[in-house]
Amino acid sequence: MLMSTIHEQVDELLAADLLDELTAAEREEFHAHLVECAECRQAFQEGKTMNRILNETLAEKKADPAFEQRMVSRFRDRVPKRSGLIGMITDLMRVRAVQLTAAAALLLALAQMGRIITGESMTEKSPRADYASNRPESALYNNDQEKPGARREVAGVLSKAEGRNKVVAPSTVAPAPPPPMDAVTSTVPKPQIEALRAPAKTKKTEFKDETTEITTTNSDVTAAAESAPSPSTTGPTANRKLVRNATAELEVVSFDESVQKITAFAAEEKGYVSTSSSEKQANGKLRGEIVVKVLPDNLDRFLGKLRGIGELKNQALTTEDVTKAYFDTESRLKNARLMEQRLIEILKTKSKDVADLLEVEKELGRVREEIETMQGELKFMDSQVAFATVTITLAEKNMNVPAAFLLKERAQLSLYATEVEKIYNDIKALASPKVQITTAQIDRDNTGRVSARLSLLLAPEESEAVINKIKGMARVENFQVTTDRVSQGGDGLGESAKTERDKVELNITLSRDEQEIALQSTSLRIQTPEVNDKTKQLRAIAEQQGGRIRSSSFSRDPNGREYSTVSLRVPMKNYNALMQSLNGLGKVENVSVRRDDRPNSQTDEANAPADVSIQVYTQGNIVSEETGLWATLRRTIGQGAAALMWSVRMIGVAVAFLAPWALILGVIGWVVRRVSRARAARKHAAEEQEEQS
Amino acid sequence: MDTAEHTIYRAAIQGDREAFETVIRSTSRNLFAIAYGILQSREEAEDVVQDTFVKAWKSRWRVRDSVKLPAWLSTIARHRARDLARKRRPEPLPENFESNEVVPFEGATGQKADLDGEVRSALAQLPELHRAAVTLRYFEDLDYGTIEQTLGLTNGALRGILGRALGLMRKRLKPALAATG
Repeated sequence: MLMSTIHEQVDELLAADLLDELTAAEREEFHAHLVECAECRQAFQEGKTMNRILNETLAEKKADPAFEQRMVSRFRDRVPKRSGLIGMITDLMRVRAVQLTAAAALLLALAQMGRIITGESMTEKSPRADYASNRPESALYNNDQEKPGARREVAGVLSKAEGRNKVVAPSTVAPAPPPPMDAVTSTVPKPQIEALRAPAKTKKTEFKDETTEITTTNSDVTAAAESAPSPSTTGPTANRKLVRNATAELEVVSFDESVQKITAFAAEEKGYVSTSSSEKQANGKLRGEIVVKVLPDNLDRFLGKLRGIGELKNQALTTEDVTKAYFDTESRLKNARLMEQRLIEILKTKSKDVADLLEVEKELGRVREEIETMQGELKFMDSQVAFATVTITLAEKNMNVPAAFLLKERAQLSLYATEVEKIYNDIKALASPKVQITTAQIDRDNTGRVSARLSLLLAPEESEAVINKIKGMARVENFQVTTDRVSQGGDGLGESAKTERDKVELNITLSRDEQEIALQSTSLRIQTPEVNDKTKQLRAIAEQQGGRIRSSSFSRDPNGREYSTVSLRVPMKNYNALMQSLNGLGKVENVSVRRDDRPNSQTDEANAPADVSIQVYTQGNIVSEETGLWATLRRTIGQGAAALMWSVRMIGVAVAFLAPWALILGVIGWVVRRVSRARAARKHAAEEQEEQS
Repeated sequence: MDTAEHTIYRAAIQGDREAFETVIRSTSRNLFAIAYGILQSREEAEDVVQDTFVKAWKSRWRVRDSVKLPAWLSTIARHRARDLARKRRPEPLPENFESNEVVPFEGATGQKADLDGEVRSALAQLPELHRAAVTLRYFEDLDYGTIEQTLGLTNGALRGILGRALGLMRKRLKPALAATG
């Protein structure tokens, strides 16, 4: 080490020397330098003194011997040991893995919670119920809004009825004449009436002495009513234009007699028969309609009389209020008349210009036309109001007794034949005036199946003979006859009506007998060492018994077993013989027989087909080729792979479910860590700066 | 690092109270030295050490490398002591604390009480880290390596720090030294 460096580093070396941290070589060099350099020697002396002083002074300041024990006991006081489970849990929560697990569990719990929440929201009470419960009130309210007059009218009526209600000013009553009492009660809810009535009752005594005043009010109302343009009758309907209509349906014994009675009733009630019509039914009964006009006031009485004529089937009474339309038309008519008057004056005096005059003439014509229309309307309405229309429908009793009966016979015949086409042609050859063929159809499909359908109309007297003839042509699978008794011109039991036989409708379906469902099907197995030979023998036996081979197959499986399957069909009469001869082929096993009895069809049992399915087979190897180490290994590996793929799929589902959450948590964690690190770094930098300075 | 100590540190971090108490016993003196160096008050230093252990216990899982536990503890103690010192003495350090100008020493006597005060003020002029190094050395008589480890310093850094610290103190105490020496 150079002397100059020693000199520069004197502080450092001095401290290290004093604190006994120099290596032997360093110490030697340093001391050598001290001998040469006076300045450093001085420093060395001072350092030694200071070291002594520091040792002396600071030794007193250092911690006392009981310090550690004090620290530990205070720590125990300030951080009490958590007991049992809570302590264990808090300790566990410090472990990173536990924190992650807890977070995952929390997420799952949240997901579950969300599902529960959404599940509950589905069963929430539907808003419609609220709406429904609110609606009547709002409807009521709207009703009130729309009919401000209604309330006033009630008030008017009440003032009349109670006669002491001063609360209602007469002026409000006058413009709207009170309608009939029942009309008001139907439009205004009852509680309101009650409400209005209540104060009136309380003030009853109070206003007793003012009856006279109310009377004048009533007379005002009547005056107002009478000043209305068309005073026709008195009473509550006095100035209302009401069109009354009635319909009635009656069942009577004699139509003509009833018409006479109705005419008489109409005359009694100052009415008249407006129209009358009748028509005669096929069974000789009369039915008709009579329109009667009577005075509205007599309508109810008239309807009462009507009931005496016959049995009232139904009755309807309608009332139409045309008051508004009537008065509207009337005021328009008034205006039109004034207009006409003005135009006439103009024509007489004002203008002399021809064009103007023409214009005025034209306008006058239009106005007059309008007036006429309106007058017509008014007249029509007047007539409607003046007379009530009663429409009476009359029908004589036993309207629906039938005139005659017809017996309709329909026959359905299903046939099986070996040669469908031949039979088909034979049936077609039967055609004659009494045997009409309406449809004839033969179907051949690409598998060689043939079927035919024929529809015949047979004269009733020929029908049985023809049907029997056709039945003899082929095997009958099914024959059905339905007879319908059709009443003509009505229903019910007409005792006097005669019965006729109609033409017989015959539908025939023809199918090849292979398509026929076997009456009896048998399956059996024959075990034999020589499958091929025995199968050949079997074929021979089948042919001998008049059977037909329908299908046959041969197969050999991995175990060396041979199977030969033969299906054949024999007539029922040969069935037993066939079964007997099969016993000679080998050991007959697993015989199962199924018989389809068709009780409803007249089947020829001896010729009905019976299906026999025979399996000829050999005993295979005892040990299958599918057993053994390799096969087992292959199966095991296959199953293992399947299980593995399944678990991968399940994990995939779980990951897909958790991935978004993990991503979100990761991002949040990353941001938080970045922020806290940045903060710590800033703090640290500040400290460093401070320490450096 | 000693394997036994290492095991104790790891157990302490994982929440073993007995292990943590062992750590308290083995490190509290060093922490006291550091805190005293900064605060120059035994009562306050003791409080700081106590607070340090409580805080360390609560946030012990933050220590990833258990070997660094002592360094971490001393960092907490230093920060805490400094916070306390700031609270107590809001005015900044004198501007000239590092200057070579020798502050005139008045009333130089050989009395011990005066010497005590001199040492105190000489220490006060040093930066915190330097003060902690000095007190660690003189209180606990630790070798450089252990001090470096305790303060979380790199190997060999302490030599410069202590040299500078003692040099500064020597200059400051020059008159007193002359008087006693």
